Amino acid sequence: MEINRISFQYKNSEQILSELSTSIAQGKITTIIGPNGSGKSTLLALLARNNMPSAGQIIIDGRDLQQLKSKELARILAVVHQQNEAPYDLTVEKLVEYGRLPYRHMFSSETDEDREAVEWALACTKLTEFRSRRLNELSGGQKQRAWVAMALAQKTSILFLDEPTTFLDIYYQIELLDLVQQLNREHGLTIVMVLHDVNQAIRYSDDIKVLKDGNIIAEGEPETIMTSELMELVYGVKAIIRKDEETGMYIVPIATNG
Amino acid sequence: MKKTIYFVTAVVLLVAVALYSAATGSIKVGPWELIQGLIYGGNDHVDVIRDFRLPRIIVSIMTGAALAVSGVLLQAVMRNPLADAGVIGISSGAGFVSVLIATLSPTLIFWMPAFSVIGGLVACFLVYLFSWRSGLQPLRLILVGVAINAMFSGLSQLFNYRGSYAVGNVNQAVSSMFSMKTWNDVEMILLYSSIGLIIAVLLSTWCNMLSLQDRTASNLGLRVMRARVIISFVAVLLASIATAIGGLIAFVGLLIPHIARQMVGTDHKILIPFCAILGGLLILLADTIGRTIIAPMEIPASVIMTIIGGPFLIFMLMRGDRVNGN
Repeated sequence: MEINRISFQYKNSEQILSELSTSIAQGKITTIIGPNGSGKSTLLALLARNNMPSAGQIIIDGRDLQQLKSKELARILAVVHQQNEAPYDLTVEKLVEYGRLPYRHMFSSETDEDREAVEWALACTKLTEFRSRRLNELSGGQKQRAWVAMALAQKTSILFLDEPTTFLDIYYQIELLDLVQQLNREHGLTIVMVLHDVNQAIRYSDDIKVLKDGNIIAEGEPETIMTSELMELVYGVKAIIRKDEETGMYIVPIATNG
Repeated sequence: MKKTIYFVTAVVLLVAVALYSAATGSIKVGPWELIQGLIYGGNDHVDVIRDFRLPRIIVSIMTGAALAVSGVLLQAVMRNPLADAGVIGISSGAGFVSVLIATLSPTLIFWMPAFSVIGGLVACFLVYLFSWRSGLQPLRLILVGVAINAMFSGLSQLFNYRGSYAVGNVNQAVSSMFSMKTWNDVEMILLYSSIGLIIAVLLSTWCNMLSLQDRTASNLGLRVMRARVIISFVAVLLASIATAIGGLIAFVGLLIPHIARQMVGTDHKILIPFCAILGGLLILLADTIGRTIIAPMEIPASVIMTIIGGPFLIFMLMRGDRVNGN
């Protein structure tokens, strides 16, 4: 994806993003990080066309994002949101079947391809045995995986995740990020996610984009760009950066700035 | 399986109540005599029933079905369990325009359904206009709807109190008596409601998608705004036609969908047709009780309906709590 000088603002409020340009590498895991209000979720929403930029252009698969038909886009790009709502009696299987709607018309019936995609999505997310459970009977981690499964059933080449781990326990956070990594390594999905936790971003990303006040302050490989100067500049904290053979690079914030 | 049982039961009850209703009243005939008379003719009693009672039965069923389905559609599209044509002013908008036309230009009465749809659309548009703040806020929507409802109800009453020549006409347009329904009414409501109900069933996938969040529906390739406009339009059409021909009946669109969800779940593919059957059954039952219980006097269907429906909804909710364990 190519992003050319996009700007965005909500009605009657100040600009959140101004003339931002960058690109997203195909087949890689890209993570957007930054403090609250830096515009990271807004950027992701623009890339997913959940919002329209007020200026600029986004190119996806060589085509202008705004020109794509809704269903076409839904076959290229799937999104997992931080929080989701569904009717209380929706089962995992029904939810995952919704992922096939971009391929369906009003009168078309389920095809073998649809069934295969659903089975694959359930297997990837280890939900096959929970397929007939209702969503509200699942644990937080399983529930989030069910939403990932719906996105996978869309069979897109690009998967977006907006702070997918925020409401999960550590166990489920790691489980979900491992799943994301596996989808990238084994199935070649291009991943773009917004994360809150800097260390998780470093550990799981090929590419990090650091946002502050709507601008990209730094971008590139985690180990090269993440420095204590950057942490101080972006988050306003003093941080120690260590490297360990087992864990790789990690950051420990030790004090606020000032 | 449980869903199938509910479906079959509702259909059987609907047919049974319709037969009972046709056979009962000031003229009584046996069910066999009734069916024979309808097919072969030549039975004076049955002819009277065909001319006066059958239209009333069909109009009751279609009114109930249209209002119930309109309620489901509005609840889906507004993502609000309290949305209902009666609560948010669509019915009273439709009713007001009916009153207006009946008063100002009684010759246009043939076009009443079309005008009432316009009234309903105006009310619906106003509700969206004043409650939309970069998304639908549930509480605001209901408050705006209640205000719009109050406004149109007030305007209707204004015309009622003028004491003009048209009053008789007007009362008929805004009350919910099913007496004096003719085969013309039947044709009208059958035509428009059937179209509305069929489209509603076709829109069930969209309704399901809208029960996720807007952004999720959009990520699944749904053009959310377009879907919202189309579903709203069908809901308004159904509610307005029902109001123009059946009269103002509150709460069917609220009661029936909630009762139906407790029975068959939230999947609109099943929910919408089931609501149509259950809505038809409830109104027919209410009208039949209303006209037989203290005959020859009549109690309006809307009154009986709320007396049966209210407690039944509470019963279903209590039972649902036990079953779902929440």
